Amino acid sequence: MKMKNAYLPKPVKIINFKRESSDTFTLRLGLKVKHEPGQFLQVSIPGIGEVPISFASYSNKHVELSIHEVGNVTNALAKLKKGDKLLVRGPYGKGYPMEELKGKNVIIMGGGCGVAPLKGVIEYVEKFKKDFEDVVLFLGFRSINDILFKEHLSRWKKKFCVNTSVDKRPAKTCFGVKVGFITKLIEKSRLESENSVALMCGPPIMINFIIRILKDKGFKDNQIFVSAERMMNCGIGVCGHCMIHGKYTCKDGPVFRYDEIKND
Amino acid sequence: MGSILARMGLCLGMMRLRMTEDKLKVGFYNITGCAGCLLSVIFNEDDLLHVAKIIDIKAFPFIKEKKNDGELDVVFMEGLVASNDDVKVLKEVRKKTKVLVALGACACTGCIPAFRNFIQKENYERKVFLRKLELRDQKPVPIDKHVKVEYYIPGCPPDKNEILTFIKDIVLGKKPRGYDKPVCFECRLNKNTCFLDKKELCLGPITNGNCNSVCINGGLVCWGCRGATPDANFETMISLLKEKGIKAKDIKDRMKTFVGLKLPKEVIR
Amino acid sequence: MKAIKKEVFNRLISSLIKSYEVIAPVKKELVSFEVIKRPEEIYFKTNSYFPVKEFFFKKNETLFRFNGNNVKVPVKKPKKKVLIGLRRCDLNSILRQDMAFIDEDVDAYYKKERENCVLIGYHCSKVEDEYCFCGSLKLLDFFDLMLYDKGKSFLVEVGSKKGEKFVKRYKQFFKESKVKKIDKVVKGSDRLKKKDISSLYDHADWEKGVKRCLSCAACNLLCPGCYCFDINDKVEIKDLSKGERCRTWAACQLRCFTRVAGEHVFRDKREDRFKHRIYHQLQYFKEKHGVNLCTGCGRCIRGCPTRIDFVKIINEMK
Repeated sequence: MKMKNAYLPKPVKIINFKRESSDTFTLRLGLKVKHEPGQFLQVSIPGIGEVPISFASYSNKHVELSIHEVGNVTNALAKLKKGDKLLVRGPYGKGYPMEELKGKNVIIMGGGCGVAPLKGVIEYVEKFKKDFEDVVLFLGFRSINDILFKEHLSRWKKKFCVNTSVDKRPAKTCFGVKVGFITKLIEKSRLESENSVALMCGPPIMINFIIRILKDKGFKDNQIFVSAERMMNCGIGVCGHCMIHGKYTCKDGPVFRYDEIKND
Repeated sequence: MGSILARMGLCLGMMRLRMTEDKLKVGFYNITGCAGCLLSVIFNEDDLLHVAKIIDIKAFPFIKEKKNDGELDVVFMEGLVASNDDVKVLKEVRKKTKVLVALGACACTGCIPAFRNFIQKENYERKVFLRKLELRDQKPVPIDKHVKVEYYIPGCPPDKNEILTFIKDIVLGKKPRGYDKPVCFECRLNKNTCFLDKKELCLGPITNGNCNSVCINGGLVCWGCRGATPDANFETMISLLKEKGIKAKDIKDRMKTFVGLKLPKEVIR
Repeated sequence: MKAIKKEVFNRLISSLIKSYEVIAPVKKELVSFEVIKRPEEIYFKTNSYFPVKEFFFKKNETLFRFNGNNVKVPVKKPKKKVLIGLRRCDLNSILRQDMAFIDEDVDAYYKKERENCVLIGYHCSKVEDEYCFCGSLKLLDFFDLMLYDKGKSFLVEVGSKKGEKFVKRYKQFFKESKVKKIDKVVKGSDRLKKKDISSLYDHADWEKGVKRCLSCAACNLLCPGCYCFDINDKVEIKDLSKGERCRTWAACQLRCFTRVAGEHVFRDKREDRFKHRIYHQLQYFKEKHGVNLCTGCGRCIRGCPTRIDFVKIINEMK
């Protein structure tokens, strides 16, 4: 009997490389794989190592990964070019339960590189637009230069209510982008908690802030979905690094409904 | 046939030439020290020729006659600053290299030569020179007291495999990451008997590993030559050793031996 | 029940050594499980200091070798193994690791080592020392054969089909015994009081353990159940595009266990790490697999340089 080996990755070709900002880039891979928004792939370069990267697309033709350069593997990935190969295994984890959320108002909130996995959510909502009620986006970035997916933003703006903000005041005035933390924008906005869900991804400080704001606006824990980030090695719920209070981020997450992890 | 071979040879030659240009220019230097750390590099006997293929060694005491005066990518510096000449050499080297690596306990922490910082001058000047001398040299300190250091490879001597891994990492463009598992981690993997249970002064629990617990494997306690782990629990370590009947002064002297200058002041006071 | 005289048992071992890798506790300075060459090496008197898991969950396992982007799993054919002298806690910890490595997703590397092995236990007649607490943890009967020490001979209980087959194959060594039932209770091994620790997470008493913790990871490495691991790539100096991806034992008591790129450490506080270990052992694993990961062997306390006794800490919590 031949056993399936979960640790064995397969090579995939990069069909496009696009720089999004000074420290973030998007790889389009020649890979067709069924996945949910919020799930991830284990991406590796032999000799350098392996990292979990969330899907930043929702398409049955290809896979896009938007990657923030922070460590050895992501730095090495940034040096790859169109036509190069890398190794992947997956998809792993539980994503945003999009199917269950149909018929609801969807509020999508992201900060910095946390916007990448949400891009998959947005593309899903675009594809099944009539199944969802109102869709609102809150996307925060450090500065004008750090804004990701600029060319998609203009398209999204036509379809959804999009709010973007940058923390740092830009040198030149820029239309359509507010200055200040995204949390301020959320605080000021009128969000209806009834029949709504909030899907978020971003730095823990931002997430904690947003959750507090949402609660003030009447949101319940089970209306909030958060994507958690942890150190991961195996991706399949064994190695233990990503465990938060008994739950494997890689297997039981990375997307958790807030009431599942709120005591953590 | 001959011409094909010749052409192939030429091609290979050109490739090699090109590779030399791409290779990292690396220098090994030493200031005050015992040269043992450089020996740790050389002790990678079987792999040394391969190392020479992936990096361009521009300077190495005893091995290279000519020292390179040009720009370097990486310099491994052995030894500590103990004389004015050391400062001069160190500052010159720092100017020519992009990355400076402190190699071994002397360069990283000052090691035994820096122990002089913890004893009265009157106690050593007569002991060593039999008569009172006017010592006018530099205060013995690790190299980062004088220049910026990017990476540290600790240990007295440093582990030869760690040096090799470091070289592989920089060639691959990886940022070498300091090891911060304690000596005990490897010691338990090696199935040694715990010296603390034998009431001996072993600093394994609070000392950085990656030495494969070589001392304990060989029947010696850990003296802490690789420096304290980032979250060393000094308070408990000291009280535990005292419970074992070891004198406070002996514990502190032992802790200071290799890495005294890099320990929190309140620990060694 | 079967019976076997001790000198006959030694003859059995001698003959097993010819065709199996026989692994049993051996006493050097400390007792550990080793591959033995002679039956006289076996040491039954005390439980082993080091756990048996290294024979299945390898300290260093090559997941695959790579040459550029070509990957290849090394062919591995482990020898047939007979493990002897496993205590009830050790046997149950193998069962726990089976749950972690086989029950959900099959881990091919672990499974290969676990296949073709016979587990022969040795039942504790008394509590090993003040650290044991297996009696508090509802351990299961999990063995192929279990030996009960009766002085000059062993009573042998068959615990599985594999055990039955084994006894049949080596029937010349075993005799029938009149004993039908045996008392398996080890007196005084139930020192961990029954308590629901899920409500005690924020209890101030955890501090007692945390304060004495040196973060040396002895508890993780000596635990027969702890199954967490790291995955790292190693390249060859001869050709940096070649190398292997390896799996090695990890320790949740160390900071680096939850450190990510950018140097953020998720469980930076010693207290969080300490509690994570205890809760994984006594709660989280049970939530997933129905049994505690901890089997009460006491190794994490016996081997702790400061003897942090989490059982005592939990017992004293009010």
